[in-house]
Amino acid sequence: MKQDWQFWSRRIIWAVVAIATAVLLLVKVQARMYISKPALSLYRAVEAVPDDKIIVVCCDWEPGTRGENGLQTVALIRHCLKAGKRFAIFGWAYPAGPMLGQQIAERYQGMYGRKYGRDWVNWGFNTGGASMIRGLAKDIPGTIKQDIFHAPITQVPVMRGVKSVRDVGLILEITPSSTLYAWVDFVYGIYRTPIGYACTGVMAPEAFPYLDAGQIIGVLKGLAGAAEYEKLVGYEGDALKRMPAQSSAHAVIIILIVAGNVIYFRARRGGQAPGRRLSAP
Amino acid sequence: MRAVLPRLLIWLGVFAAAAYFGIRHHVFAANLGIWLAAICTFAIYSILYRENVVFRLFEHIFIGLATGYGFYIMIIQVLQPKWWNPLVVEGRWYWVFAFLMATMFYTVYSRRFAWMNRLAVGIFMGLAAGNGIVGFITELAPQLKASFKPLWQSAYPYVHVSNVVFFVTIITVMSYFFFSFEQRHPVVKGSARLGRWLLMVAFGAIFGNTVMGRMSLLIDRLEFLLHHWLQVFSGM
Repeated sequence: MKQDWQFWSRRIIWAVVAIATAVLLLVKVQARMYISKPALSLYRAVEAVPDDKIIVVCCDWEPGTRGENGLQTVALIRHCLKAGKRFAIFGWAYPAGPMLGQQIAERYQGMYGRKYGRDWVNWGFNTGGASMIRGLAKDIPGTIKQDIFHAPITQVPVMRGVKSVRDVGLILEITPSSTLYAWVDFVYGIYRTPIGYACTGVMAPEAFPYLDAGQIIGVLKGLAGAAEYEKLVGYEGDALKRMPAQSSAHAVIIILIVAGNVIYFRARRGGQAPGRRLSAP
Repeated sequence: MRAVLPRLLIWLGVFAAAAYFGIRHHVFAANLGIWLAAICTFAIYSILYRENVVFRLFEHIFIGLATGYGFYIMIIQVLQPKWWNPLVVEGRWYWVFAFLMATMFYTVYSRRFAWMNRLAVGIFMGLAAGNGIVGFITELAPQLKASFKPLWQSAYPYVHVSNVVFFVTIITVMSYFFFSFEQRHPVVKGSARLGRWLLMVAFGAIFGNTVMGRMSLLIDRLEFLLHHWLQVFSGM
C-alpha cells in the first residue's frame, strides 16, 4: 500500500503541475511584466550599435531549450530587424543553432521589409572553440570563409567593411551552456567589444559576476527575460503569453515544497522519517 | 526480451491505430510534421510514468538524429569549406598536415603507434593551457577588481546594504573554504558556518532558476500540444 502511494504520489504531483500550467495556457490572462535593468541595458545596447557596425547573433542552442532560448532569439532578431541593424547569425557550440536562427530570421524578415544578404547573413556553424574565437576576432572573412549557402563571405553585401571584431558593434550570445567565457576572454577582454547574454534560467546566476564586472552589457534570464524583451521591442509574443502559465507552475511548486516539508517534519516528529540536523564538518 | 516484446507490440499497435486514424481522416496530409512532433513528445514524456521501451526507442532516435545532423553540418559547413576546398580546389598542399594531425588522435587504438596520440593530445593541451592563462587574466582579474565594493560612500541606501551583504558573503564563504587548518577558533568557526548557510541560500536561488527553466520547457511542449496539435481554442 505504502509502495503504491510512493509510486503514484510522484505521478500525481507531475499531473497537478501539468494541469496548473495547461489551464493558464487556455485562458487569457495579461502578464504585467516588470522590466529588469539587465534586460533594459541589453535593449539600449542593441539600439546604440552604429550603422557601420554589425551585430553577431550567436545561436548556441538546440531544440531542447527552444522554450527559453528560442523565444529570446525571436525577440533579439525581431529587434535587429525592426531597428534596421545589420546582423550575422553564427554558432560554435551546437551544430543546429545557426539553422534555427535562420528559420527565425526568415520568418520575420518580411514583416520589417528586410532581406537576406542585404540586411543580415548567416555565417553558419564553426568548430574550434576558444582558438576559433581568437581567430575570428582578428580576421572574420578568413575564419568564416562562406555563408550557409556557400557564397564567399566577402561577396555578401551586408558584410561590407566587416574585417575583424573591431567592426562588430555587439555580440549576442544565446545559449544554455557555459560558452560565454570565450567571448569574454578573447573578445571583450582584449578588444572591448560589448557582449549581451541570453541564457536559460539554470545559467542565470552564473551571469551576475560578469554583469557586475561590466564584462557583459545585459542579460536575458530564461523565459522571463524573453518576455521582458518582447515588451521592450513592442509586441506580445509567445514569451509574454506564457508568463501566466509560468507563474502558475511556480505557485504550485511553492505550495508543494511547503506541503512536502510540513509532511516531512510531522513524520519526523512522529518518529516515522529519518532526520539529521545540519552540523559543521 | 520476452517481457519487452509484448509491450513493444502493444505500443506499435497503438501507433499503427493512430496512423490509420490520421490517414483515414486526412489529418496527416497537411500536418505530418506536427503529428510526428506530438508522437515524439508523448514518447519522451512516457518516462514520467515509468521506464519503458518506447521512451528508449525514441531516445535512441533523437540521439541518432542529433549525431547524424551534427556530422552532416560538420562536413558541409566546416570540413568542406575550411579544409577540403583549400587543399583540393585551391591546391594549398600544406593543409594535408591538418589531416595528419587529426589522424594522430586515432592512433590510440594501436599499441604500436599510441605515442603519436600523446603527441597530438600534448599539443592541444598546451594550446588549451595557453588560452586558459589568457582567460584567467582577462576574465577573472576584472571580476576580482569588481568584488572590491565601497561600503560607505554609496549614494543610495539599498546599494549600501547590498554591498555590505556582498562583503559579508565573500568573507564568510571564503573562510568556509579554508581547509588548510582545523577551524577551532570560535570566530573562524562561526564565520565558516555563516558562509555555509549563505552558500545554501545561493544554491536555493540556483534551484529556483532551474525550476523556472524546466517549467519553461514544459510550457513550450504543452503550448505546442494544445495550440498546434490539438488546436484547442485559447483566448491568447
